Amino acid sequence: MKQPVPAREISPVARFWAEFQESRVAVVALGVVVLMLGVAIFAPLVAPQNPYDLANLVLMDARRPPGFVGSAGYTHILGTDAQGRDLFSAILYGLRISLQMGLIAGSLAFTLGVTLGVGAAYLGGRWEAFIMRVVDLQLAFPAILLALVLSALLGQGKMQLIAALAAAQYAYFARTAHGAASAERGKDYVEAVLSTPLPAKRVVLKHIFPNCLPPLIVVATVQVASAIALEATLSFLGVGLPVTEPSLGMLISNGFQYMLSGRYWISIYPGIALIVLIVAINLVGDRIRDQVNPRLKR
Amino acid sequence: MGVGPLGERSPGGATPIPIPFPTRGKGGASRSAKDLVMTDTPLLEVSDLATFFHARAGVVKAVDGVSFSLKRGEVMGLVGESGSGKSITGFSIIGLLDPPGRIERGSVKLEGRELVGLPADELRAIRGKAISMVFQDPMMTLNPMLTIGDQIGLALEAHESVSGAERRQRAIAALAQVRIPEPETKVDFYPHQFSGGMRQRVAIAIALLHRPRLIICDEPTTALDVSIQAEILTEMKELVAELGTALIWISHDLATVASIADHVCVMRYGKIVEAGPVLQVLTRPQHPYTQGLLDSLPSRAKPGAMLARGAGTDAAPPPRLPRQAESGHRRADLPYVVIETVGKRFQRKSGVLRLLAQKAGLVGPLPAVQAVDTVTLSIARGEALGLVGESGSGKSTLGRIVAGIYAPDSGHVLLDGEPVMSPGDRPHKITTRIQTIFQDPFASLNPRMRIGDSIAEGPLAHGLVSRAEAATYVAQWLAAVGLDPAFAGRYPHQFSGGQRQRVAIARALSMQPDVVVCDEPVASLDVSIQAQIINLLLRLRQELGLTLLFISHDLSVVRHLCDRVAIMHRGRIVESGPAGEVYDNPRDAYTKRLLAAVPVLPVA
Repeated sequence: MKQPVPAREISPVARFWAEFQESRVAVVALGVVVLMLGVAIFAPLVAPQNPYDLANLVLMDARRPPGFVGSAGYTHILGTDAQGRDLFSAILYGLRISLQMGLIAGSLAFTLGVTLGVGAAYLGGRWEAFIMRVVDLQLAFPAILLALVLSALLGQGKMQLIAALAAAQYAYFARTAHGAASAERGKDYVEAVLSTPLPAKRVVLKHIFPNCLPPLIVVATVQVASAIALEATLSFLGVGLPVTEPSLGMLISNGFQYMLSGRYWISIYPGIALIVLIVAINLVGDRIRDQVNPRLKR
Repeated sequence: MGVGPLGERSPGGATPIPIPFPTRGKGGASRSAKDLVMTDTPLLEVSDLATFFHARAGVVKAVDGVSFSLKRGEVMGLVGESGSGKSITGFSIIGLLDPPGRIERGSVKLEGRELVGLPADELRAIRGKAISMVFQDPMMTLNPMLTIGDQIGLALEAHESVSGAERRQRAIAALAQVRIPEPETKVDFYPHQFSGGMRQRVAIAIALLHRPRLIICDEPTTALDVSIQAEILTEMKELVAELGTALIWISHDLATVASIADHVCVMRYGKIVEAGPVLQVLTRPQHPYTQGLLDSLPSRAKPGAMLARGAGTDAAPPPRLPRQAESGHRRADLPYVVIETVGKRFQRKSGVLRLLAQKAGLVGPLPAVQAVDTVTLSIARGEALGLVGESGSGKSTLGRIVAGIYAPDSGHVLLDGEPVMSPGDRPHKITTRIQTIFQDPFASLNPRMRIGDSIAEGPLAHGLVSRAEAATYVAQWLAAVGLDPAFAGRYPHQFSGGQRQRVAIARALSMQPDVVVCDEPVASLDVSIQAQIINLLLRLRQELGLTLLFISHDLSVVRHLCDRVAIMHRGRIVESGPAGEVYDNPRDAYTKRLLAAVPVLPVA
């Protein structure tokens, strides 16, 4: 009775990527995310104009519709805003700030939430009860309300907003991490390393944490998207970033007053950029969630 | 009626040769005369049935040219290891295949009527009425939201129209038929209020509801304890004899098949390799595969002997490293492993609200389960102690306490006079001299770690090997458990169950333990793989001079591997002693019942 020969060596990551590609929508969405990240990172190289260098701005070109050829000699493909900025350039620079805020706040929330969640699950007892009740309490409030109150308290500024966003969002990570880690903690392979025995730090970092990652990656993608949306909302309301750091939300807000006078492009195009970014990130997140959901496994 | 010509079907042959079974040879006395009228036309005729699964990776020929026929009231066993196609054969007959599974060719005739290719609604009219099915896991087949009575009612209405009052009466009668006590009350119960055996009885009651001519049972007793299995087997035998129903009993377990079936078909790789009357196949097997299966069973071998079919050419384990701190305060007057008045309770955590309600006297305290109740045992150096019990007996909990995974509520475990757990509020394991092998090799290895890292991790953390020597050390252990050392870089999902269990054994032994706690290490493996793992454990135990605590529900495996045995029932040890003595002369009433419940294979 021969034993079957094990399949060719494939790392879990390679397997995951092969499965991911089965959904064409998700691959396209991932492409969009990567493209947007790319243009955001290389905005100074891609944009026809540095929209925040006042020397570049010509007030004569203000509020021109898409396709207008400005005094600098190039076409403003998305038009210009009230200060005569090229909107396309402004959107690229806005994406840069929005993505930066989303990613930094998201990672901060991830680190804080996962540390608390996994820690609570591993420690158990009073600590678990205390941490998780605080998290539950916070989840009872809408994230936008918390972020609004916090950013009002902390004042304007990049750092302050990042802190507010992370504090409003860590609870989602803590909940998910706690659930996953509690499930993993009871599994045989964790009991096996507990009976070896291995030091607690190693059990948590090498065994429990990596196996909690799949659901956390899903939450992370969705939360980055929601951090971007949250930041845009706060900036739109005027409590987010200072005017010197115009994110997509502020661009929308700036154009809002012209909406009814027919100059739709000042608000609409940053809005479309924001929607495309968030939808693309969510589609990628959805695909990953489907993949890590054992119920959908064939 | 004589024995028909038997033997292998030519694989993929164009002309199917149904294997003619003689009519019931034994237990036929209770058959009514009406069943004997049409004995010459088979009830079910399966010829050259082939079911393939068209997956992306290629075509899986799950069933590949199976032919047999079944007469009215006959009981046929369909035996094979996992992946042999025995369950898919059952599903194909009843038309319950999910894509990408498809019947490729062949025919299934029920009383001359072709079932393959029948429209879905006509098949539905047959399913549950003429042919019904009982599945392995009764928890999965009963709807947890409906009472037993409602579920039986739904099954009734599928094929007849009945009034509300009649529905209830019929449901009660159905429960009474499968020997469920107090059916008038039980009919209003929900599935979770029933035990596993009771749930399976309900599933059987539903299968019998419309007096089908054929019942297909797919591993119906595999998830059940041995004593419940014995009850179900006896009842099933009586019921089919009473009702004249034919039965296809699908199982991996030769012994249960032997105790219920008249005929048996042995399947492998989607084909029937051997078929014939049970006694003949099991006592004088013709096909080498059947012989191999029988030779793999520990119940047929001399205790402690290597099993014939599990032989492997494995390398010797790496030399034992000198232990740094060989117990300083060893006490000669104590046995090697001491388990003293160990107890463990499990209680659900109650929240703040529940505590308040409890204080106010609105609710009582949550029920606690005394998993282990003051157990005292000892194991001598080099001895193998078998811990036997049914599910819920507390044997696994006791094993985890000995292994230092759970801290006991009371009592303590000592190895060589040293405590296994640290004292204090948050006790943790301090010794590395006790290691554990778990039941499910799929769950006991970290899925995100290469197996080489899993094996090396413990020895590295405890300084048994240096980082430079780790790869060689891992390779030596992989060779010692019969795996290719080149597999070290692979992930657990790339191995079969048996191979994973070898990895788990290598991981436990690479810590150079003196005592190994084996928690059902062969329970989830196929018979032939089980034999290989048993042989591996026998050999390594001898070479390394290990002391074993071997936990199992399988009495034959324990008898084969262990010197001494302790029987556990409801958290207590009811009997313990040398294996031969306990098996031959059980003193405790529970032990006697347990031993009597084990199905026995006929011996030549």
